[in-house]
Formats: sequence, structure tokens, C-alpha cells
Amino acid sequence: MRSVVLVSLVFVMAGCGRNQRMDALYVQRCMSCHGTLGRGDGPVAASMPVGLPDFRETVQRKSPGQIRRIISEGRGMMPAFDPALRPSEISDMAQMVWFLSREGRDVSWWEKYDTLVVAHCSVPWDVVLGYDEAPEEKTVEKK
Amino acid sequence: MWFLATTKRRRKKRLRKNSARPAVRLIFFLIIILGSPHPVLSHEKGESEARRREVRIPIEDFVLTDQSSRPFHFKSLRDKVVVLAFAYTTCTDVCPLITAAMKRVQTELENNERGAVYFLTVTTDPEIDGPKVLAAYARRYGADLSEWSFLTGNEAVLQRIWKNFGVRVVRKARGLIDHTSLTSVIDGTGVMRFAYYGTSPDPKIVLQDIRSLLARR
Repeated sequence: MRSVVLVSLVFVMAGCGRNQRMDALYVQRCMSCHGTLGRGDGPVAASMPVGLPDFRETVQRKSPGQIRRIISEGRGMMPAFDPALRPSEISDMAQMVWFLSREGRDVSWWEKYDTLVVAHCSVPWDVVLGYDEAPEEKTVEKK
Repeated sequence: MWFLATTKRRRKKRLRKNSARPAVRLIFFLIIILGSPHPVLSHEKGESEARRREVRIPIEDFVLTDQSSRPFHFKSLRDKVVVLAFAYTTCTDVCPLITAAMKRVQTELENNERGAVYFLTVTTDPEIDGPKVLAAYARRYGADLSEWSFLTGNEAVLQRIWKNFGVRVVRKARGLIDHTSLTSVIDGTGVMRFAYYGTSPDPKIVLQDIRSLLARR
């Protein structure tokens, strides 16, 4: 029972999409090298002796755990963020990388491969948890 | 099942929202962040080359802690040419370029020059950069630790060193520091002779400057 509650909590906290917190973290800590859209073309990238990955090509080949580890422990010239950031911030970064890797893809592709997120987004959290109800929409449905 | 229909609609709304808004938000952030560069701190984008200056600044002796948690005396490097730079491990600006440039200089030294040149990276973020964090940083860059130390210490000691080198350090957030990007070359008598400000210095120029000091020994 406890694990069910925990998993539900993680789902609720994970959120459905990008949020301002993720954008702010990305701009602060990632964008200078990885670029606005995660294509490896940030302002610092041009001066780097190594090539930077395009998230659209590399992220799918990695598990969420691997992405998290790279963010936490660093790799080559990439800093290790674990000493400086909270675990929730590292999760936000990992999600942001994941979102950017799907940028430009159509929704059907997105839904096909990301069943977990879609499942999460499909759960009527407002009903389950009893908040965030949208009265005007509810009224329309009842008619 | 009214709620499923509602949720589906909302999900579509969310997906639409997610595809359009982040780009706009990022542009706003870009304007805010890049639009207000600090004139003194050189963590600014757009500078393609480091500014080189010939200087004569005597460096006071200091004791810091290296990446193996051992005390490190600056005085122990007398008679050696020292390449010293300021950086912090979670920097995503010019520090990675500076450390990479130092690594290149270290690699390109001739065998007979190796023992006469020593490299130092001094942190600007003692809050995060403990010896273990610095050791991992050094490993990621493949630094040869027989001639390169990564130094940290208590903030009061570091403040004195930063001041001696003319490095301004401003803490913005945990693991996010604005600081003067300085790489320097110090001669065998402990006097700073060359200073490179801004983005990473050209390894070839640093090598030339090191060799000019080695030749005068």
C-alpha cells in the first residue's frame, strides 16, 4: 500500500509537461553549451574542443537512469551537478533533456513511446485527489 | 465518464501549451540573462579570445588543500613556472574551456619542460568544491596530477588569494558563481607575469609565454 501511495506521489509531483522551473534551470545550467533547443549549439559550444550531442539523436538511446547519472556525475567537460543541486532539481533537468529530445516530433509519436507519461496525464488527478476541478467544463459535460 | 473526456481535452490543451510556450519563455530568459552583462565579471558570452596582459604582481604565499585533502604550500613551487587559473566545478561558462586549455598546455609540454612547469586550479566555490569533488573534476579532464593540483580551502583564505590575483567572486546561487575568468602564468620567484582574461587562453600563446620564462631562468 505504501509503495502505491509513493508511486502515485511521484506521478503527481512529476507533472505532465515542461514548467518554468525546468526552463529556468536549463537556461541557468545547460543552455550555454547545449543550446536553446538541446542541439549542442550553445554560445560556449563553439569554443569547445569536443562536439556536443543533439538531444534528439542521443537521448532516446539512453535510459532515464543513464541521463540522470550523466547530469549527477558529469562526463568529460560536463560538470557533475550532484554536489550543487537537489535531487528534485536533477529530476527537473533530466525531464527537460527528455522533453527537448522530443521537440519537433508529432504528438502521436510522443504518445506511442511515452506510455508512462501519457498514462499519468490521463489519470483524472482532480477527481482522484479532489482538487483542481474546472467548473465550466464540468457543466458542459453534464448537459 | 465525463471526466475522461474532460481530461482528454485538457491533455490536448496541455500538449499544445507545452509545444508553444517554452520557446517564448526561453527567449524571455535569454533577453533577461544575456541582456544584463556585468562589466567587471568576464562571464559574458561573445568574447572569442582571452585578453592577454603582461603584468608584475607579486603573489603572497598561501596554503590550501589539494584534491587528495593534503595541504598545499604555494611556496613549494619556487623556481617553477606556474600556470594558475580560477574555476569552479559546476561552472557551465568559461571554466570548462580554461581547464581544457590548461590540459592542452600540459599535454604539449616537451619532456624536458615538464618538471619545470606546474599547474594549479583554484576554486571560486569552496561551498561545493571539496577535495573529492575536485578530484572527480580532475579525473574527468584527464589532468596529470603529478604536475597539477586542484585547490580549495576555507573561504577567508581563498578571499585573500582572490584579492591578490584581482579576481572578483560573486555567489549567485548554490553552485552558480560569477567570477573574473583569469588564467595566469607566474614565474619562479612567485611574481605573476602574464594574465589572460575572458574566455580560455590560446594554449599556443600560453606555451610561448611559459617558454619565454623558462628561457630566462
